[in-house]
Amino acid sequence: MRVHYYPGCTLKQKTTALDISTREAMKRLDIDLIEPEGWTCCGAEYPLTEEKIVGLAAPIRVLRQVREEGGDVLVTTCSFCFAVLKRADKAIKDDPLKRKRINAYLRDDIQIDPLTKERTTDFEDYNGEVKVLHLLEYLRDRVGYPKIRERIKRDLKGLAVAPYYGCRVLRPQKEMAVDEPDSPRLFEEFLEAVGCAAVDYPFKQECCGSYLSVSLPAAATEASYRILRSAGMNGAKAVAVTCPLCFYNMDHRQEAIKETFLDFSGLPVVFFTQILAWALGVDKSVLGLGEHLVPADGLFSETPATEVRT
Amino acid sequence: MTAKAKNKEKRIGLFVCHCGVNIAGVVDVEKVAQVLKDYPGVTFSTDYVYMCSDPGQQMIIDTIKEKHLDGIIVAACSPTLHEKTFQEAARLAGLNPYQIEIANIREQDSWVHTDKEKATKKAVKIVKAHVAKARQNENLDPIKVDVTRRALVIGGGVSGLQAAMDIADHGYEVILVEKNPSIGGKMIQLSETFPTLDCSQCILTPKMVEVSRHPRIKLLTYHEVDSISGFIGNFKVRIKKKPRYVDETLCNLCNECEKVCPQVVPDEFNMGLSFRKAIYMPFPQAIPGTFTLDAEHCLGLNPVRCGKCKDVCEKKAIDYDMKETIVEEEVGAVVVATGYDLYTMQALGEYGGEKYEDVVNGLEFERILSASGPTGGTIRRPSDGKIPKSVVFVQCSGSRDTEKHNPYCSKICCMYTAKHAMMYRHRVPDGQATVFYIDVRTGGKSFDEFYMRTVEEDKVLYIRGKVSKIFKEGDKLIVWGVDTLTGKKVEVEADMVVLAMAMVKADGVQDLLKKLKIATDIHGFLAEAHPKLRPVESLNAGFYLAGCALGPKDIPETVAQASAAAAKVGDLFAQKELLHEPTVVPVNDELCSGCGICITMCPYSARSLDPARGVVVVNEILCEGCGACAAACPSGAAQQRNQTDNQIFSMLRAMLRE
Repeated sequence: MRVHYYPGCTLKQKTTALDISTREAMKRLDIDLIEPEGWTCCGAEYPLTEEKIVGLAAPIRVLRQVREEGGDVLVTTCSFCFAVLKRADKAIKDDPLKRKRINAYLRDDIQIDPLTKERTTDFEDYNGEVKVLHLLEYLRDRVGYPKIRERIKRDLKGLAVAPYYGCRVLRPQKEMAVDEPDSPRLFEEFLEAVGCAAVDYPFKQECCGSYLSVSLPAAATEASYRILRSAGMNGAKAVAVTCPLCFYNMDHRQEAIKETFLDFSGLPVVFFTQILAWALGVDKSVLGLGEHLVPADGLFSETPATEVRT
Repeated sequence: MTAKAKNKEKRIGLFVCHCGVNIAGVVDVEKVAQVLKDYPGVTFSTDYVYMCSDPGQQMIIDTIKEKHLDGIIVAACSPTLHEKTFQEAARLAGLNPYQIEIANIREQDSWVHTDKEKATKKAVKIVKAHVAKARQNENLDPIKVDVTRRALVIGGGVSGLQAAMDIADHGYEVILVEKNPSIGGKMIQLSETFPTLDCSQCILTPKMVEVSRHPRIKLLTYHEVDSISGFIGNFKVRIKKKPRYVDETLCNLCNECEKVCPQVVPDEFNMGLSFRKAIYMPFPQAIPGTFTLDAEHCLGLNPVRCGKCKDVCEKKAIDYDMKETIVEEEVGAVVVATGYDLYTMQALGEYGGEKYEDVVNGLEFERILSASGPTGGTIRRPSDGKIPKSVVFVQCSGSRDTEKHNPYCSKICCMYTAKHAMMYRHRVPDGQATVFYIDVRTGGKSFDEFYMRTVEEDKVLYIRGKVSKIFKEGDKLIVWGVDTLTGKKVEVEADMVVLAMAMVKADGVQDLLKKLKIATDIHGFLAEAHPKLRPVESLNAGFYLAGCALGPKDIPETVAQASAAAAKVGDLFAQKELLHEPTVVPVNDELCSGCGICITMCPYSARSLDPARGVVVVNEILCEGCGACAAACPSGAAQQRNQTDNQIFSMLRAMLRE
């Protein structure tokens, strides 16, 4: 299987753990990941904050490139990239005027040679031909849990993991349409498929504080604390995340959380792809565990590697 | 019908209405009257400020007599408003009412245009078209039908009970059909009723008894209406009698069967908060007073598998071999009082949905409050039976939410939440009651006083704002909301949460409504013939509507509406015979090829094929004169009276000719 994969900037810089664990896991599932040539930043949150059309140029350019390379699906792991790409795609699909204008921008940008100022290449409008999927969705709908179960090499023995969706995967529901936002099953089913026990707790869709991390760190500290505390209270041994920013707020901020909230004693935060890769038999040394400030090594050694199926 | 000789030129009178400035402000009405004065066929032409006023009508009557007019055009508002008025004026002047033509120059002209010159030109064209039509109008007489003076009432809740009783008291027979084992509806499940706090059972059970004993009411519980055919005054009804497996005439309520029944199932009457047996009586005052065997939960209606109840029944009332049967009845009118459902808990995932036992809906809380409920009237929460020391009430749960749920207001929740909170404070004096609300709507007699009592005397805390999320932390429910008066987020710990759940269409009757062709609104509630002026009638003639099937409402309003529907049935039954509009679409046998296209077009099932003669026949009583068949007929055999193809083409010619 081959599929286009959009890592996004953060996965190439601060949070390589998410990228490398994704690649290792996909290798074990015989899925080739293709990065669209010349991909750029999706624009993070900005393309969606204003009605200005030009913000959509970056994500649509990426999607068009996927189509040009013959792809019809683009998979992402970062929740922000997922939300931006999917919503930008939907915005131009639903609105013919936006579609026309964005294609006009892209046409000039792609066709006109910066030196000669002449139109050089062919250009075909992008009309929303590429389907944007979150990796969790891709695993559920395209790969299928039975296939994952077949390839499992390590028995995680029902490790209690709290799935954390954050804000971006499920909402706004009408646009994301991934799962029911109030009682989702997407992440839970994934965790169960890889051999974990999914912990049910009421904070799985609450905000981690997001960019308040920069402007109002105390708010992000408290928001992340409530999530971690609730997960812990409900028996979780770790919280699994999909988003580099959620990871930052809940992992890198845990020292501050402990200092502020004395009842909190710490809880490892991992990427869902790390759990997947580990279950599929990937060696611990390539999971990117060095990036964690809260040591997560314990999770990946407590459960001895045993061959469950051959 | 008397066919007038076509070649004899008619004497047509034209009356152009100013409608104050409604028409005259945009259309030069005097000019319209002037221009048409010499138009072929027009004998008389004038304008007047309000044609519908008494002097206006009198002018028409006098002119008809004076000028011997035999055709009238009133150029005024839409025929839906005053066609009847002018038809009556014509009748008084001795002219056949179907010689009246209404040329709509208001809704279709003056109200939608601003350019006076063009609008006047258009008015002239509209009037000319109607002159062309009027020249070919024939005298018509209404079609007469007999009336069966018996009514069917569907639904045995408070609205159905009231309607049945009122119709029976008018002196007519009533058949009351209820699908559940007992009458009483949702009202019998309520504890106290606002704003007087009288016990719901105490005020409803006398009505139930009265209905069951009324000599003119035939009570059919555990029955369902299967289909209704026919037309106003003459309906044939097929009613399914569901097998009760207990002979209600023999059952003496000794209770022995219930004791031995091994099958335990959630009790619907108590909203699943307690249990009943598979053979059961819904509640002690149920009418008819008999046990009912619920076949779905019975071990198999088989004496080999169980048969315990049959063994202990001394009266030999239990019969496992009962089968579903069909009852047929003839009635002249139908009252639809099929009630409502509550919005489902699953739909409100953000409030815990069905996840938390201690998040209950309003009707469940009614049962918890009720002396006959699962806790005997002591307020206990479902999960562990503890008396809750803090209860949060959430108004507008699923209502007034255009994004995710129902956009409308469920109307009664403000009042019953105030009642719930008050009752809670009375029974748990050291408990804290908190209400989240968007607005408090207390439009009703003594309603606001009741609400103020809740706030001031019973110290219920009202917080203006919506609840975003309810979740469990340990033993407590945490309610997240916002106080929009301070702009702050609030978090309230509660032992129990009561959701004032939206009222929605009754799911179980949607198929029946479709079969009966009773129109519903976008939310699935029954649609009135006119929301203001015909509030208890369906557009489908002979069907009358009452209660929450039309939309959320409280008990007094429901009862008033049921009485209104009964009064309307009385109107119908008081007539010697019914008159039906003669502007129907008959079939010309000689032209009809029996292709049947018109049969498929007819929305009223008025047309059918006569297999012997190979032509279509029309039930003129069912025909509403919509004209769909006439438009579809390929041979011109279907011609609507006073709207024939010839007339329509003449109108087009008159309109398009400069």
